[in-house]
Amino acid sequence: MSRNAQVSLTIVAMVAAVVGLLLFINRPADPPAGEAGQASDDARAEMLVRPDSHKLSTAADGKVTVVEFLDLECEACGAAYPGVEQLRGEYGDRITFVMRYFPVPSHVNAELAARAVEAAGKQGELEQMYSTMFRTQPYWGDQRASHRGTFLGFARDLGLDMTRFEADLDAQATIDRVLRDRTDGVVLGVTGTPTFFINGALFQGQPSYQGLKDAIDRELAR
Amino acid sequence: MSTPTRKARRSRTEPTSPDGGDERAFLGRLLPWVLLVGGVIGLAAAFTLTVEKIALLRDPNYIPTCSIDPVLSCGSIMRTAQAEVFGFPNSLIGLVCFAVVTTIGVVLLGGARLPRWVMLGANVGALLGVLFVHWLIYQSLVVIGALCPYCMAVWAVTIPIFWYLTVENMRRGHLPMPPRLTRLAVTYHGVVLTSWLSAIALTVLHAFWDHWVTLL
Repeated sequence: MSRNAQVSLTIVAMVAAVVGLLLFINRPADPPAGEAGQASDDARAEMLVRPDSHKLSTAADGKVTVVEFLDLECEACGAAYPGVEQLRGEYGDRITFVMRYFPVPSHVNAELAARAVEAAGKQGELEQMYSTMFRTQPYWGDQRASHRGTFLGFARDLGLDMTRFEADLDAQATIDRVLRDRTDGVVLGVTGTPTFFINGALFQGQPSYQGLKDAIDRELAR
Repeated sequence: MSTPTRKARRSRTEPTSPDGGDERAFLGRLLPWVLLVGGVIGLAAAFTLTVEKIALLRDPNYIPTCSIDPVLSCGSIMRTAQAEVFGFPNSLIGLVCFAVVTTIGVVLLGGARLPRWVMLGANVGALLGVLFVHWLIYQSLVVIGALCPYCMAVWAVTIPIFWYLTVENMRRGHLPMPPRLTRLAVTYHGVVLTSWLSAIALTVLHAFWDHWVTLL
């Protein structure tokens, strides 16, 4: 083998070894309940819907529960939003719809948006802020600049108490609340958004109106 | 009888070091293939991106086939201003240029010896391409914060296309360079390419480390 090939292969091997080692060292810690994805069903159910998780709709009979891990800045979530709203309208109190935050680190404003929704929730306007975020996403999504001012404007438009809103927006408790949702998602195996769980099972189809509707109907028919 | 004669003639016109001989012969055969394969991959990527762009224009809610997760997300990239630097989608540049690269590869593979000005012209084009690609890499990793798999295919082929055109032009004397540098480039062409691509790969890994870790 020529020197050229030898040295080239050595570089490739070294890079692969170092990256492999770093990935191994940095792999996510195993959740306390057991290995990821293998947590017991009870533990998973508890993790999917925490007592403080936001239920946008509640089923009277509790038969079907849809949990969505979403990133307010992710365009696929924005694309799924109208379908989800339509389903919530059509099914009313026949399904429970739970919204969980999963702000992705590469989206600069996603975590702040989730905190804004959370802070609006403290004044009873969670659903309004959630809808506003998705409806306006094209204007503030996918940008590197902070959209704090934009989100404060949303709060003002909703007629919120601004002093309180800003305090809640920056409160450590709010930050922790949002990140706890994300941690639950990671442990449950969420790697991207939107990720839906329907009655505890990971929904693997296209998160379109029809795709979700079919899955929900199947569960309702059980 | 013809083989030894041809060999003898080649060693007279291309004096070789004990180590560089094989590499020289190998390089001459390598460039057409790099251009052909790289050109076809680049063309396929540019074509797909153009089709996706049209679909996105037709339906703003369209989710491109390469929007897999938050980081691998063509959709977020294709909507940025950087995706239309010159006022039209960048992929149109790729459609035109990779077609030319492919053609040159085929012509060289057919045994044609192109004049110096053609080879240098191709080299200048490839230089502009490689500079543009590095600007796009920076935009993608640092400014936008997302990756587009088809665009990454273009990054991956533009670098070897530029590098092997340059090495071949140095080797043939089209590109006047100090003999020492030419000898180094010819002998260690693969080392330069591997280091270059590894550096890009490491930058991509580093920029989205949190994301890659969650995929484990």
